[in-house]
Parts: sequence; structure tokens; C-alpha cells
Amino acid sequence: MPDIVRPEELETKQIFLILASPGNIRECNIRIIRELATQGYHSVVITTNFPYNILKKLYGEGGIDLNGVCFVDAVTQTSIGSANNIPGVVRYVNNPANLTGMGIAVTEMLKEHKDEKICILFDSISTMLVYLPSADISKFIHFVTNKLRLMDISGVFLAAEKGIDPMLMNQLITFVDKVVDAG
Amino acid sequence: MPQNKITLTAKAGYPAVGEMRMNMKKEKATPSCAEAGILDNALVMIAVLDKKGTVTLWNRTAETVTGYPREEVVGNDGIWKLFYPDKEYRDSVTKKITSILATKKSIENVETTLRSRSGTPRTILWNTKKSSEHGETRIIAVGLDITELRKAELFRESVIENANILIAVLEKGTVIVWNKAAETITGYSQGEVIGKRDVWKWLYPDTAYRQTLTRQITEIIAKNRYFDDFVTEIVTKSGKKKIISWNTRQIGTGEAGQDIAIGLDVTARKEAEDALVSYMTEMAMRLKGPVEVIRDNLSDMSHLLREKKLDPDDIVVLLNGQVRNADKVALNVQEFQQAIAEKHQEIPEAYRKFLAGE
Repeated sequence: MPDIVRPEELETKQIFLILASPGNIRECNIRIIRELATQGYHSVVITTNFPYNILKKLYGEGGIDLNGVCFVDAVTQTSIGSANNIPGVVRYVNNPANLTGMGIAVTEMLKEHKDEKICILFDSISTMLVYLPSADISKFIHFVTNKLRLMDISGVFLAAEKGIDPMLMNQLITFVDKVVDAG
Repeated sequence: MPQNKITLTAKAGYPAVGEMRMNMKKEKATPSCAEAGILDNALVMIAVLDKKGTVTLWNRTAETVTGYPREEVVGNDGIWKLFYPDKEYRDSVTKKITSILATKKSIENVETTLRSRSGTPRTILWNTKKSSEHGETRIIAVGLDITELRKAELFRESVIENANILIAVLEKGTVIVWNKAAETITGYSQGEVIGKRDVWKWLYPDTAYRQTLTRQITEIIAKNRYFDDFVTEIVTKSGKKKIISWNTRQIGTGEAGQDIAIGLDVTARKEAEDALVSYMTEMAMRLKGPVEVIRDNLSDMSHLLREKKLDPDDIVVLLNGQVRNADKVALNVQEFQQAIAEKHQEIPEAYRKFLAGE
């Protein structure tokens, strides 16, 4: 099976928008992390959908070395009330609408892994739409992509295909280097 | 010169209609009976003056228009003062006629406003003709009452000037009318536009766009000779873009033909429509998308449970997550309903006005 994100494009620190069918997003997430691990990347997973505990389990079952993955989890605290950060492994944000908290958590996580070859995975833009207007999401993605470019870091944003209106999609396309339809 | 005279003598001593002495004595030059009958029944005002300016004939139309019967006018030397009681205006008429007679032997289409006997102003278009018979010189002054025509013109001009839509009248491509709304909408004044053909280049500075419009308009005109609701984007003098819906009509045909272009500024309406579409799309995305997220997450949970990859704590976390998502969707729906029902402030101002029919 071909890579979703081509290694040579990752090497040039490109930023990708991956569109997947809704039933395929979880599998797509796992595949990308596996590909990143194979290429020696430390993945920072920003999740607004599946909580850290479950992703950790799924990655483990998918044969992914969890030492090469860390998480910014915006799901768990709102689901179970509280959860404690594990430095270098997981940082919790109280809810997906807290973009400031998410921005801080990502920045901190990148600092903690500054000496490693980093790629972030954002899962997913579609889930963010439950909590935020598209204008806020667009601003946040713009902020994150700018930060990645300044820090010379690759990034992958996941979204459900056909779940984003043309206006938001046009904006997202301008922020990323490449749009990949993962099917 | 006596104060009570309007003496409009032509340079060569030629007595024109202006040479109407107020102190006229009884007429000397009189028309023949047949001539008098024709003149008397003419549908225009006719006054015949002798070489000294004494009124010798005052026809029925002149009586009707001015309200002064011939008995009071013929031989009466005070009629012009009665017609033009305002000295300043009377002097201006005198000056105008004197000026014309300095270079011409007759007066053509000179417009004055006289006061009728009842006090109502009448606008008269004057023409004079010199005539000689039996060695006697007389002046025939013909006055056409254009009061109603002028009123209609003023009304039309007022309607055009005060309309809140852009109105331009073109004659062979040259702008001859450019109303206030046209000035307001485009930023180009009448002085900049009237008498020129360049305004379209200014309004459509992009050559390719202008050519496209010209082609489209030519095609439409070839079929219908006019167009309705033809929407274009103009660039105003200040550089702002506006959406205009154009309607055109042709007035007259051939060489005398004019085109009237009426432009309605639909920028705000278009923005409101765009805002509405944008708002509806956003809300659809924030309702449909999240419901799909919940559906897919529950589907994923189902698969994971079947594969025995979830323990009870995981299930609790995942289910709580979906409950939270569903709560948020419900809030979004509520927000949407509220926005529609109560014209919530989250709806753009333009859309609120649109809904309110403002």
C-alpha cells in the first residue's frame, strides 16, 4: 500500500491536508502515524476525537512504538472530568473549543521534543466543527501552520471528506502545501 | 429713456418685438381682414406691432393665454410691464432681446415667463417676423405657450434627478443625462461625465472585463434592443466595487435615438444574499458534520467492541465523548433556531435587514 504522505515531501517540511472518508479516518490516523514512525519521526498527535488512552491502545495494537508518539488530548478531560499531564507523553486540554489552551499545549509539547525530528498530526478538523465556527477554526489552523513553518516542522491535518464547506476548504488549501485524498 | 418704457430697439433702427413702447398710441399698421382672420384664429399667441411697437393685433390665443382681452392690449402701452412686473426680470428680458437684435433681424425661440392677468406665470416661446405692406413695416410676434411642456420637463427632470437609481441617457454613446444617484453611486460628477463617452472605461477599468460585457451587451441588444437585470460590477471613483443591475431602453430611433440606462445598486442586497448563503452553509456544516462525527465514532466503537479492544473505562470515556458531542450539536441547533426566530445578533446585519424586508 503506498504511503499517504510521501517521505520525500515530508523531508521538505511540507504541511498536508488529508481528506478521508468518515469510516476510514481512524484507520488513516493509525497508518499515518505508522508511516511517520517508519521514517523516524516523533509524532505529536493533537486529538479532538479519540482520547489518548484509546489511541495509545490502537497504536500499540497497530505495531507502533509508543515512545515515538506524544499526545495533546482535548477529549478526555471533558469526558471523565480530570486527567493529569504526563510530561513528554500527553498534555490535556479541557475541551476542543479551548484553542488558546490547545496552542499552549502544542507549543509546550514541541519544546519538550525540540531535539527530535517532529511531525504533528491533527485529528480532526471535522470534529472541531462540533465546537467552533469555521472562522475560528480557520484562524487556529492558520496559527498552527505558521508556527510549524517557523519551527521548520512537518504537519498533517486530517478531515472527513465532504464535511467541510467550500469556503473553509478554500482557506485550508491556502494554508497547506498539499491536499491528499486518502479515500 | 423714460422709466416706463421697455425699448428694445435693434441697432439699425429695426423695430422688433422688443420695441414695444409702453406709451404706444393707437395702432397705425393693421393687417388685412383675411390676414386678421387667420391670425386671430391661430392656435399660437400672435401680436402684431407697428414700427413703433404699438400693438395692432392681439389674437384670441393671446387673450386666452394672458387673460388680457384685446381691448386692453391693442393700443395699450402698459401691457409689457404687466407681463413682466419684476423690474429685474424685465430688464434681463430687455437685455437679452437687445443682444439678439444687435446681430440678427429677428428673434428665434426666446423663452420668457410672463404673468397672466390672473397672476399665474406662463412660459412663452417667442419668435418674430418682420413684414412690410403698403410701405408700412410691422412686426409679427408669435408666442407659443410652453408652460405645460416646461412643467412636464421639470417634473421629468426632477424625477430623474431625485430618483434613487442611477439614470444615464446616452446619445450616440455620449452621456447627456447623469443624475444625482449616478453621481452618488459612481462618485463621478455630472461635470466629469456629461458630454463624454469615457465613463464606461472608468467604471470598467479592466479591459478584458469591459470587452466581455460589451460582447454580452451587443448580443443581447441584437436580439431584444434592450436588456433587463443585467448585472455588472463597477469600480467607483474611489476604487470601491459595486454591483449594479442594469435595465436599458431606447427612446426614439435612428439618428435621433437615445438610450436610457437605469442602474440599481444591488451591492447591499448581493452582500446580504452572500451573507445568508454563507451563514446557512456554515450552520449546515456545523449541524451535518457533527452528527456524522457522532455516527462515525459510535460506528468505530462498535467495531472496537466487537474486536474486544475496549475495556469498560474506555467505553465510558468514548460514550461520554459522544454525549458531549451530541449536547453540542443540540446547542448548535438551538442557536440556529434562535438566530432565525429572534434575529439573533449572530446573524449578519445585512441578513437581518433582508429578513425584515428593509
